[in-house]
Amino acid sequence: MGAMKEFTKGLWAENPIFRIVLGMCPTLAITTEAFNGIGMGLAATFVLVGSNVMISALRNFIPKKIRIPGYIVIIATFVTVVDLVMNAYFHPIYQKLGIFIPLIVVNCIIMGRAEAYAQKNGVIYSLLDGLGMGLGFTISIVVISMIRELIGNGTMFGAQIMGQAYVPFLLIILAPGAFMLLGSMLGGMNRLEIYMAKKAGRTPTFRKEHDCASCEVFGGWFDRGSKGIEAIK
Amino acid sequence: MKEIFRLCFVLTLIGAVCAAVMAFVDQETKAPIEKSKTAEKMDAVKVVMPLADNDLEKDQVTVKDEDAQMEMTFFPGKKDGAVIGAAFVAVAPGGYSGPIEILVGVDTAGVVLGGGIVKHAETPGLGSKIATPTFRGQFVGKSVKDPANWSVMKDGGPFKQITGATISSRAVTTAIATGLEFLEAHKAEVFGAPKPAAAKPGCEGKPATGGKK
Repeated sequence: MGAMKEFTKGLWAENPIFRIVLGMCPTLAITTEAFNGIGMGLAATFVLVGSNVMISALRNFIPKKIRIPGYIVIIATFVTVVDLVMNAYFHPIYQKLGIFIPLIVVNCIIMGRAEAYAQKNGVIYSLLDGLGMGLGFTISIVVISMIRELIGNGTMFGAQIMGQAYVPFLLIILAPGAFMLLGSMLGGMNRLEIYMAKKAGRTPTFRKEHDCASCEVFGGWFDRGSKGIEAIK
Repeated sequence: MKEIFRLCFVLTLIGAVCAAVMAFVDQETKAPIEKSKTAEKMDAVKVVMPLADNDLEKDQVTVKDEDAQMEMTFFPGKKDGAVIGAAFVAVAPGGYSGPIEILVGVDTAGVVLGGGIVKHAETPGLGSKIATPTFRGQFVGKSVKDPANWSVMKDGGPFKQITGATISSRAVTTAIATGLEFLEAHKAEVFGAPKPAAAKPGCEGKPATGGKK
């Protein structure tokens, strides 16, 4: 696999939010304003790149049996550094993100990449993987927070867009709105992937458990209408 | 048996290196963090005390009340050496999500000149509206005895609460009232012992502020 592909897979094919569906806590919680999305995304990207590089460099030094505590200590160190540096030099955005900066420690994307990628691959590839995944995460949450800010507050990046007459649809800013929007976007992304895969004559890249057609809750209810997956297979 | 020592050694080493890194970063960022916190507070103080020309940060007074078990810091504002008022941070413990810090500026008679929200974690779009000028502006010109009932309209007071955020509105209103009462009780300490005679009559506040009811 080429180095370029290691980087770009995080942006689309293995996008951590829309494809792997990891790191849902910050995705749902802080995406109320576009600036928050950028701040959170970049902070998580820094931690991800740092931890990926460190873990892949130490992959032969850390024994298998204690790898998880070892990774957590390394990740927690990077998070603490980000927390302190943001508090010192980017105080306004630090205040808005609050508790969610320390909570990057438990962001599953970071641990997931360490476990699934960095411990098996070289430093350069791990760096690219971390960068791609981090940027994929950043772009995804910025898009979500832009939509939420626009609909829920009538602004974008703090600038008034919808005009004074617009009555903000508050639900979308509150927690239930985050779930609704994320669910709709996940569905939309799956739909798009099915369409693109069909056109290119390949198998869709999303995991089976994240596709509506195989959802057990509805017993394949979605499938009856759309025939999406079956048609391609 | 040999393995367990190796595992311990590796984990200890990782921990030690990480601790060293964190200690270094902590040391490097301590001063800037303190600075940005103070700067943020002092910026807000200047907004509510625009006429003051003294070094507000240097002249701050902390007053302790043994009976109420409360401690508050005041920033007396001076113009040409004479005290013109003070700013203080009122903390509202009963916010919807965590405490709300409100900065209030008052003149020597205890009449509110202005206020700002320093820190809050209220719901965006609802409780966060406590920071809007429409809500904050209601407290300007009021003092501890005027109105008699320091509460939101829902509780029979004169202040219009924010729709959908009565808890936040109530918390802010109560906190300002508590702060004003505290200041009233410790006026001498905050504004300096030799009390200027001019401040006394204005203390009642009725003729000066009652007209706007």
